[in-house]
Amino acid sequence: MRLTVNGIESEISSPPLTPLLHVLRDELDVTSPKAGCQQGGCGTCTVLVDGEPRRSCLTPVAAVDGASITTLEGVGEPERLSPVQAAFYEKYAAQCGFCTPGMIMAATALIDRKGGPVERDEVLEALGGHYCRCTGYVKIVDAVMAASRGEVGDVQDLPVSEAGEPSVEVHGSPA
Amino acid sequence: MKAVGARLPRYDGVGHVTGRTRFVDDVRVGKTLWVKALRSPHHHAAITRLDVSKAAAMPGVHAIVTHEDIPRNVYGHLEALGVPGDEPLLAAEDVRYLGQPIAAVAAESEAAAQAAVEAIEVSYEEKPALFDIRKALDPDAPQIHHWGNVYPHYGSYNHRRVRKGNIDWAFEKADVIVEGVYRPQAIEQLPLETQVCTVVPEPDGRLTVYSCTQAMYFSMGVVAAHLQWPLNRLKFVGGTVGGGFGGKVDTATDTICCLLALKARRPVKWRWTREEEMLCSSTRAPWHIELADAVTSDGWILGRRTLTIHDAGAYARFSPYGLTKHAFHHSGAYTIPNLRFDGFVAFTNRVPTTAMRGFGVTSVSFAVETHLNRVAEAIGMDPWELRLKNANRVGDTTGNGVTLKDPSTVPVTLAAAERVGIELPAEYRAMTSDPRGGDLLPEHLAAQQNLSELNGGGH
Ligand code: FES
Ligand code: FES
Repeated sequence: MRLTVNGIESEISSPPLTPLLHVLRDELDVTSPKAGCQQGGCGTCTVLVDGEPRRSCLTPVAAVDGASITTLEGVGEPERLSPVQAAFYEKYAAQCGFCTPGMIMAATALIDRKGGPVERDEVLEALGGHYCRCTGYVKIVDAVMAASRGEVGDVQDLPVSEAGEPSVEVHGSPA
Repeated sequence: MKAVGARLPRYDGVGHVTGRTRFVDDVRVGKTLWVKALRSPHHHAAITRLDVSKAAAMPGVHAIVTHEDIPRNVYGHLEALGVPGDEPLLAAEDVRYLGQPIAAVAAESEAAAQAAVEAIEVSYEEKPALFDIRKALDPDAPQIHHWGNVYPHYGSYNHRRVRKGNIDWAFEKADVIVEGVYRPQAIEQLPLETQVCTVVPEPDGRLTVYSCTQAMYFSMGVVAAHLQWPLNRLKFVGGTVGGGFGGKVDTATDTICCLLALKARRPVKWRWTREEEMLCSSTRAPWHIELADAVTSDGWILGRRTLTIHDAGAYARFSPYGLTKHAFHHSGAYTIPNLRFDGFVAFTNRVPTTAMRGFGVTSVSFAVETHLNRVAEAIGMDPWELRLKNANRVGDTTGNGVTLKDPSTVPVTLAAAERVGIELPAEYRAMTSDPRGGDLLPEHLAAQQNLSELNGGGH
């Protein structure tokens, strides 16, 4: 079996019924899809299979042999966040961050499909199967709507990623 | 003051939105073994036989631990605060809740570990179980611990007490007595990241613990106590928690992973399934709260009697501390000069309960605020006015004798009324937190304030 994950093609050696989630995380070391429930209930494992959001915990890898998979690692450009990423960042739509990969993948698919501004009920429908225990959802829905309207700043990705916390500048401080 | 009032970018925000934040489950260490636990299938039982020899001989199994492998098999989170540990890390003689861990296996894969768990030979003798805290104090209730069904260490009492003023006088003087029973239920914190831990044995004999704990130093102390090790042999890596909400204050996985890593001499990882998280992780405590308020027909709360029972589940964990906070808050944000509070931490055969947002306080606040609405209804007074009249003012004293210097009940209540579009009478809108006087200082409150001055302010 072969998968193209975030543009890179790989030969897969896991058994055919292995959930795509485990292939991504454990065989390919692509760890942004999370194992929140492993039974289809929470949405943290959502990835795009040929552009469509799918729960990777319920998808046997054999069922997507040859497909092109996009995970959060493959969203945005090397130095610049995508509009959905930038909106989640700027509008505080990620708290603990555990649901964020699944949310951003589903939101990205929605906006790509619509090709223009998305309305609140469309966001609710697209993210309906995604749990977030931290935010209360309001900021997430606002972020997706803003991203679809291009109402986001131009957020540069940070040069520092794995090695420690990036330094933060305080903008708009009253002091 | 660069931060207050500014919209600060989250320091971890870019990591979250790019998928690069490394949660415990994302840590990659070569040759890691997987952990699974044998858990009690009964709510309450004696373990009559435990034999892991067949399981240990199974393919792919590297280590099994039971209570015999633990240098100190006592889980005592609050020992430093004087709360004695009462919980085994792995059950030895009795199991007291469904899902209680008895043994843990480290093996090459999750499937191999699970197969070994199923091969452990164990038998039980079931005991009657107790689930209703209202029955915990009955003489014929099933006994959970050999010392009984309540946590017994509140000084010389077996329960938390608050005594203030003269409660009998208040109930004699009252025009109306309003009673109510409130029973907030257990709630699972339900973080999206289940309990997870990776432990790596280092070449220098130390252990590196990748922990999802909400409380690094608590967990470090708990692990060190179990292992009987000095803290400097443990390196904890954490701070990236995929949601906790109180449930990750308990040290659920760290020590068992340490023991298995030491025994197997390999890195080990334990990631709870969603089912384990729902069935076996601690919850917010259920409570049984009885309130009786002695009230005058013009809206003064002269006194309050409280009986509260906190369901600790099978073991104490943080419950004695939660009940103390509960006791402190049982008069709410209001001044009540005569109080009699009795609070019990009761044991049942439910999963042990622990912290969750506003631990011990949200339960009693729910009861108090609901009760105030009932009081208002009983005397035919607007509930906002009842609250504003009795709201804490500068110079009022709390149930535990603290004289308030900067209470915020009045401005907060007025702001809340405004936000929800309630038009209060002008005399109420003009209220402040200033010390009581005139109509707001009836005789019974004046007497209390004089007393507090005599006592030097009651600090
Ligand atoms: S992990 Fe796939 S839906 Fe929860
Ligand atoms: S940000 Fe924590 S679960 Fe959504």
